[in-house]
Amino acid sequence: MNFNLNREEAAFRDEVRTFLRRELTPEVFAKHRDTGEQGMWTPEFTKAFRRKLGAAGYLGMGWPKEYGGGGRSRIYQAILWDEMEYHRAPGLDRSMTYIPNAVMTFGSDAQKAALLPKINRGEISWFVGYSEPEAGSDLANLKTRALADGDDFIISGQKAFSSDAHMADYAWLAARTDPNSQRHRGITMFMVDMKSPGVSIAKHPTLAGWTHHSVHFDNVRVPKSMMVGELDQGWKVLMGAIDFERAALASPGLVNYQFDRLLAWSAQSRDGSDRPIDDAVVQDELVRLAIEAEGTRIMSYWLASLHARGQHPQHETSLALLVKRETARLFDEKGMELLGPYAPLRTGAPHAQLDGEVEIEYRDHLYFQFAAGGFDITRNVVATRGLGLPR
Amino acid sequence: MDIALDDDQVMLKETAVSFAQQALPAARIRELETTEQGFDAGVWKEMAQMGWVAAGFPEAYGGAETGWLELALIVEALGQGAIPSPLFSTVVEAGFTLLDAGADRQKEDWLPRIAAGEALMTVALMEANGGLRAQDISARIARSGNGFRIDGTKAFVRDAGAADAIICVARSGDGAQDITLAIVPKDAPGVSLRRMAAAGGESLWEVSFKGVEVNADAIVGEMGAAWPAAARLLLRGAALKSAELVGIGQTSLDLTLSYAKERVQFGKPIGSFQGVQHHAAEMYRDLEVSRLLSWQASSALGEGLSGEREVAMAKAKASQCIPALTRTAHQIHGAVAYYRDYPLELYYHRALAAQAAYGDAAYHRRTLARLLTADPHAFRGNDAHELPVHYF
Repeated sequence: MNFNLNREEAAFRDEVRTFLRRELTPEVFAKHRDTGEQGMWTPEFTKAFRRKLGAAGYLGMGWPKEYGGGGRSRIYQAILWDEMEYHRAPGLDRSMTYIPNAVMTFGSDAQKAALLPKINRGEISWFVGYSEPEAGSDLANLKTRALADGDDFIISGQKAFSSDAHMADYAWLAARTDPNSQRHRGITMFMVDMKSPGVSIAKHPTLAGWTHHSVHFDNVRVPKSMMVGELDQGWKVLMGAIDFERAALASPGLVNYQFDRLLAWSAQSRDGSDRPIDDAVVQDELVRLAIEAEGTRIMSYWLASLHARGQHPQHETSLALLVKRETARLFDEKGMELLGPYAPLRTGAPHAQLDGEVEIEYRDHLYFQFAAGGFDITRNVVATRGLGLPR
Repeated sequence: MDIALDDDQVMLKETAVSFAQQALPAARIRELETTEQGFDAGVWKEMAQMGWVAAGFPEAYGGAETGWLELALIVEALGQGAIPSPLFSTVVEAGFTLLDAGADRQKEDWLPRIAAGEALMTVALMEANGGLRAQDISARIARSGNGFRIDGTKAFVRDAGAADAIICVARSGDGAQDITLAIVPKDAPGVSLRRMAAAGGESLWEVSFKGVEVNADAIVGEMGAAWPAAARLLLRGAALKSAELVGIGQTSLDLTLSYAKERVQFGKPIGSFQGVQHHAAEMYRDLEVSRLLSWQASSALGEGLSGEREVAMAKAKASQCIPALTRTAHQIHGAVAYYRDYPLELYYHRALAAQAAYGDAAYHRRTLARLLTADPHAFRGNDAHELPVHYF
């Protein structure tokens, strides 16, 4: 048991920090930051940065060497995710975390040969076509259909709440291949080229200020070679990918940034006012937040440690994600309380604090409570899969 | 970074848990709560034979020199079984204080007998004001002939009734940290005890010293310079109490899950209701976060770091969460666990006693606030980033 990074791990962390600080200077933030995008960066910058991550060897860092990866342990991946989140870097998403992993686990040899080198170089990005208007938390209720037609499947349906679909090269799509099937049987996974005829994207402005998307598939032809895993066995692929997704989302970088930002603000005086940090109530709030942030950090690295030891944590991954996101929301709530009269001020307003970021996050992070397994759904998963309570 | 138990630690944990779960039936634990001694002498002897009493002592004194994490695993298991023992008083407080600050002669005199389960000791640190700072201590120790004389009243002294000797923490001058430790045989003239009846049968005592004379060789460490040793005692105690709280929480959750799977109402096991499931998930969340913070605290002590920050976080979190967890456990059980013949009440009471020991949640948050304001950057630990000051 060791709660500290060893020398090699610490050196890697320092290397990543140096890379991120060099690439993400205040000037870069000023030029490419875009609160109209879910990722908070312009699509162009996100794509360019993904290639830089690839060139630096970070995308395939944890992949097995046979796929051109670096073969480094999950501790190193956790460090990378942690630092990227802390520095609010673009590109820490499905295209880097769980889709490559799912391709390696479930993809055909031809798919791996065609896609993994491009993913490794940061040349392609993805959107995940799981949710539908009638299939949110109840994903097994999905209706999008894929009907076999010669060497192709023909896909029709609508995917909803489709993050980053407008900048994606491929859809990672779940569709029902057996029209008579129920629930999670009869679903198959596909990779769909987003330039295919019949794909269209609709925009949905969100209360967070960025635009979300839904994607319509109108008789879109997909070659059978782009099917992932076996026919009608997509649920297994989907669930395997979800566990990996949760591990990446459980990274503690965000909450540590939230803490440091609030701490730095609390240590400042504004126009001669008392420093918040000199007040006992503020100190107690900061200390309570520090404990939760530390719990989040250890839990994330605990998970990475289990993975690094070759174990396969299941509900623990859901637990770590819940802890991280609840902690982030606690920071949103307490951050707003501590900001007092400044709390509602938006970016650019006179006297707005911390560039209005805390107010943006107060809106933006609302999706933590319902997306990728919302709080209540995650509690269900932990209680049933983890604690063995009856469904 | 490797936050997982190794094979030896897994085996120790399993052995300790299985021992703690079968060592004493619940009826016997309840009976012990009413006795002056408070623990079962046979169980203590067995623990000594298994090497757990002196696990952390050097081999020269009959120990195995295991790490702090191993001690935490043993304490966690004892918490899981609600097993009363003088481990905190005799080992965590007195034994390690002698190791830390005592003369060789004092160590040779006491530690092998403690390791064998033959001698019991405790430390009288707190007083009626309930404080844990040097300035809260007003009992006096002063020169008297060739020896010393102690006057004052200590409180919250663990296992004083059963102890052979008490290490008294007393003031030897008016400087805030002018604190001295002295070993006092319990049967010394002028020592008198009153039991402080407490939740879960916690064996706490008020100990009065009235003109108690001790020889010069009773002094532990330097005259007037013993406060750092007392402060380290408090850190050890808090780290291991957080481990005990984790054990208490584990059994409270286990009992709740078993009950929720079996208890049928409205035609279904109550564990199938989402209201119950969400409570259970939150209990588990708080338990696992508390466990990881507790392991980190004991690991930090084991690495010889000050561990102040890690211990304060662990004890603050567990002191707040685990009693809450036991309250939710009772809520899910309903009336059945309100009756004393159901085991949950053992844990309800022990959580209350443990959260109060070696500093409650507020005490440890005050410690954290002091560390935070003294050096915000150091507070963030080894992996700290530069604070983001580009906003200002």
